Amino acid sequence: MGVLKPAMSAETRREALKSLVSGEGVNFVTTPILIPPAPYFDLAGEEFGARLILTTGADGAEFCLRPDFTLPIAIEHLKSGAATPAAYGYLGPIFRQRTDGPAEFDQAGLELLAAPDADAALDQVIAFARAALDIYGITHPAIRVGSIDLFEALLAKADMPDVWRPRIRARFGHPEAMSRLLTRLANPHKPAPGPEGMPVSDIADWVSELLLTNGLSLTESRGPEEIAIRYLEKQALEAAHVPEATIALLREYLAIAGDADAALSAVETLADANGIVLDAPLQAARQRLAQLRNGGRLNGLVFDAGFSPRLDYYTGITFEMAGAGGEVLVSGGQYDRLLRRLGAGSDVPSVGCALWVDRLEKEAGR
Amino acid sequence: MSAIMLALPSKGRLQEEAMALFAGSGLAIERPGGARSYLGEMAAMPEVVVRFLSASEIARELIRGTIDVGITGEDLIHESAETGPAQVRIVKRLGFGRADVVVAVPDAWIDVTTMDDLSDVAADFRARHGRWLRVATKYLNLTRRHFAQAGIAEYRIVESLGATEAAPASGAADLIVDITTTGSTLQANGLRVITDGVMLESEAVLMVSRNAGWEGARRSTLDALLQKIGAEPF
Repeated sequence: MGVLKPAMSAETRREALKSLVSGEGVNFVTTPILIPPAPYFDLAGEEFGARLILTTGADGAEFCLRPDFTLPIAIEHLKSGAATPAAYGYLGPIFRQRTDGPAEFDQAGLELLAAPDADAALDQVIAFARAALDIYGITHPAIRVGSIDLFEALLAKADMPDVWRPRIRARFGHPEAMSRLLTRLANPHKPAPGPEGMPVSDIADWVSELLLTNGLSLTESRGPEEIAIRYLEKQALEAAHVPEATIALLREYLAIAGDADAALSAVETLADANGIVLDAPLQAARQRLAQLRNGGRLNGLVFDAGFSPRLDYYTGITFEMAGAGGEVLVSGGQYDRLLRRLGAGSDVPSVGCALWVDRLEKEAGR
Repeated sequence: MSAIMLALPSKGRLQEEAMALFAGSGLAIERPGGARSYLGEMAAMPEVVVRFLSASEIARELIRGTIDVGITGEDLIHESAETGPAQVRIVKRLGFGRADVVVAVPDAWIDVTTMDDLSDVAADFRARHGRWLRVATKYLNLTRRHFAQAGIAEYRIVESLGATEAAPASGAADLIVDITTTGSTLQANGLRVITDGVMLESEAVLMVSRNAGWEGARRSTLDALLQKIGAEPF
């Protein structure tokens, strides 16, 4: 395609990136490197916790080396008032345990919190990502997009007992766990032998007695009622299971991946065939794909229905941009639930992206 | 240099069995400094330097490569480092020091008999209780791997270095991952192993460090030692 080799040196590129993340209207922040790990464990659980580099202070206090910028930025932002619109830029080292590269690596990015116009904010983030890629001579990125909204809308309308909706949602973004759950729903375990036709209250009494005999609290962990209800639910799964058609629908939906327009048409056809109306979220997804397409310089725009970070504070769309080498260079998306999870009173529109600086530099040298 | 360092557990049944294993292959180990000495000698192969160390130290140093060959519990290799098992090669499984690393839940959780049940409970837990499901264990790496395989991400580990079986009663955790030989301690504490909750069937193993230097004469010493003891070649 006759793409010109970038004329810049590594130092110049770095300078250009620094200017980009501290551009007009962007608050360039440097967050502390040594921070408490609790917010990461609270938000992301053990799977992400395993990637933290942890250390202990002389007084026993736990610390981790900053594994990203987004969370410290969001926590600081809350102190200044969640609803105050702000743009944050960053560039610096982050630290994660990983087997595919050094534990210390640079990340840069832009986070727009509480922006009054969500569409404009997304446009700004996309333009920022494009500008960053340009610095490294990547003019035709391949973009992969997923939609959390669309899946949540489908899940809310699919025919199944309500108890399964949050459990299926919890596995979105984790294909193996999802597939394992769907397989189990299609062939439920035989219920354990136990009292049949006993009312919940009797089973709960029995469970209470077991808990107390073993010196366990009735309130600190799972309570008797909760255990009894789930016990009956499990007994009933064979009778009141998730319909086969729903499992097939979910499987087919999650398998949709390909050229964005064709993929969204496939989603629409599938929803129609199942009598599910997804007009509003589909329209939103199309609108966002159009935003990503702006500028026209693309090496493919793929919509992947099963693509999502496995963190429940992501919303809207999520996207990745890759260069010729195929490695992800930019990860971004919307995360309106993050600030609420951190203590804000409600969802706060949030969108941003992070750049893998070392990979960008590698790509520039190709 | 042709000398290699062999590390054996410094106390208990593990030590006795390990000494007996070498003696049985014509490689009796003497302790010139007396039974409390941490140094040993192998008369039949003087180029093998024997040291007695704690079982967890043996695991750690095998992974680092500062010990060449050693006997310790397989579970400790998993726990000393996330990629520990890849840093060593097991050349002989020894059949003693057997114990299982298992997932155990309160017996009163009558609805939980499999990892799949646990994954449903974990997925609902935070919405119900405002916190993550908590698992007490000292087996961080094994727990993370086994839970990930079961598709469970919604939990937190509470590190526990002793009396893990008491964690549910003390309110420190909701369930545990621990090592057990007969299961009687778990039972006495009202805990039950779930059916697919065995993460590792551990036993004492003879291991060679992949991170030690294995050039020239040291390699010949190693090969001779492994052959005499009936281990797989490294």
